[in-house]
Amino acid sequence: MDTVKLYFRSMRMQMKSQLQYPASFLMQTLAQLVMEGGEMLAVILIVDRFDRLNQWMPGDLYFFFGLMSVTFYLTECFGRGITGAFPGMVRSGQLDTLFLRPRGILTQILCSAADPRRISCIAVGTAALVMGSRMAKIAWTAPKALLLAESILLGMLLILGLFMIEAVFCIYSVKSVELVNAITYGGRSACQYPIDIYARPLRVLFTVAAPFALVLHVPAAYILGKPLYGWPGWAAFLCPLSGGVVFLIMYAVFQRGLRHYRSTGS
Amino acid sequence: MKAYLSTFVMRWKMELQYRGAVIGGVVCQIFFGLILVSLYGALYRSKPQNLPLEAVASYVWLQQAFFRMLLSTDGELLDKIRTGGIAYELCRPIHLYGFYYARMLAQKLLGSLLRAAPMLAVALLLPRGMGLMAPVSLAALTVSVLGLLLGLLCVCALENITMALTMRTLDHRGVMAMLNLLMMFLAGNILPLTLFPDSWQRVITLLPYAQLLDTPIRIYTGQYALAQAPQALLIQLVWIILLVALGEWLWARHQKRLIIQGG
Repeated sequence: MDTVKLYFRSMRMQMKSQLQYPASFLMQTLAQLVMEGGEMLAVILIVDRFDRLNQWMPGDLYFFFGLMSVTFYLTECFGRGITGAFPGMVRSGQLDTLFLRPRGILTQILCSAADPRRISCIAVGTAALVMGSRMAKIAWTAPKALLLAESILLGMLLILGLFMIEAVFCIYSVKSVELVNAITYGGRSACQYPIDIYARPLRVLFTVAAPFALVLHVPAAYILGKPLYGWPGWAAFLCPLSGGVVFLIMYAVFQRGLRHYRSTGS
Repeated sequence: MKAYLSTFVMRWKMELQYRGAVIGGVVCQIFFGLILVSLYGALYRSKPQNLPLEAVASYVWLQQAFFRMLLSTDGELLDKIRTGGIAYELCRPIHLYGFYYARMLAQKLLGSLLRAAPMLAVALLLPRGMGLMAPVSLAALTVSVLGLLLGLLCVCALENITMALTMRTLDHRGVMAMLNLLMMFLAGNILPLTLFPDSWQRVITLLPYAQLLDTPIRIYTGQYALAQAPQALLIQLVWIILLVALGEWLWARHQKRLIIQGG
């Protein structure tokens, strides 16, 4: 519990420190808005031209887009230590200092950075979720709302876990390995759209290896009332847990990796 | 002229040093291309369009292959402004605009050639409707390469303007990011311009951003017939002249008012 308190306290501090330069913060937040707004506009233009994507109607597509967007950028906002700052910490030898303190390494990494600029991306994602939910006329019930929250939370764990793969590579090779971006950023790009539109190899990759489909798409499809592959309701509640599994596996690998850490400091 | 030429050659050699990073980048880029063509394939199965799917897939691959051309690459100048190192640059007996133009040209040309060659080779091998189609004719291929070179000149001029605009602010990241994203979108990198609503296309294809990659790609895939090509190339040429002139003027103006940071 203490760790959680520490984390939230650090987050508050990080956000505050970023807000010390309001003009710069505002411009960069605006830039993020343009970026995610552009992505959303692309979906809108696609809907305008194609009307639908297999059985998925415009509202459904906005809902899928919004869910991915909110989940991914919440992770980048609160997990910046892993998703962005880590390679730099290894390269500069800053990671050494973390070993000296009486806290878990991962906790300290997560506490060390935040990215409040992502708030505009999260806003765009939320707008897409609301728009999608209205257009698809979702009948919200307590279990459905709970499922959405579960999906977002475990989705964040999944994305953190995937970024930890890069972190582990980074411990061994010092250089950051861009190839891993294929499943993190590639996963975001691909899984903005429901998984069942893709050919088998991509479907397998994003269901088994990086289970975006299980964590985000199965629950979303259930909420939309069009269960993916016709799976029953309890499956929608069970599938997102795979995100937690990925995180736990990567957590173990990461801890092992840290034992092999050799400082770059001189 | 010799000074600019040697700047170009030096930068070219420097780009060649990072071959390892190129391979990782190319694999990643191919993967993104595959995701996009599968998406458009699925969309076309839902509702076929007048525009053939091969043309859309080719558009995606050519955009991915020459992505590096759009990406802004020269952060050095802005760092120099922030640290005051710009003072040394001003002492050089050359025209600064030309100096940075030549550097950028080398970086973008080699950067995109190194990546485009392997990517296009892979894309040509993919099945019909997923991969890169052959050009409509040999003449179209020749003209589109010419268009691509004009596009390259155009993007360097554009980036020099961006730099001039950000020259006087110390924190350029916000403005820079915004202009770059605008470019990605209006150049057709996020969604092919050929899939934009038809009424939008009439305006967007006239903007400078469409001159970079959209025009050569349309000539390659046959959306612009050969008869229309001279007109398309002329628009590119006009934009290059306008943008270079504007860039020159902005650089000269801002250079005079530049504050040297120091300490």
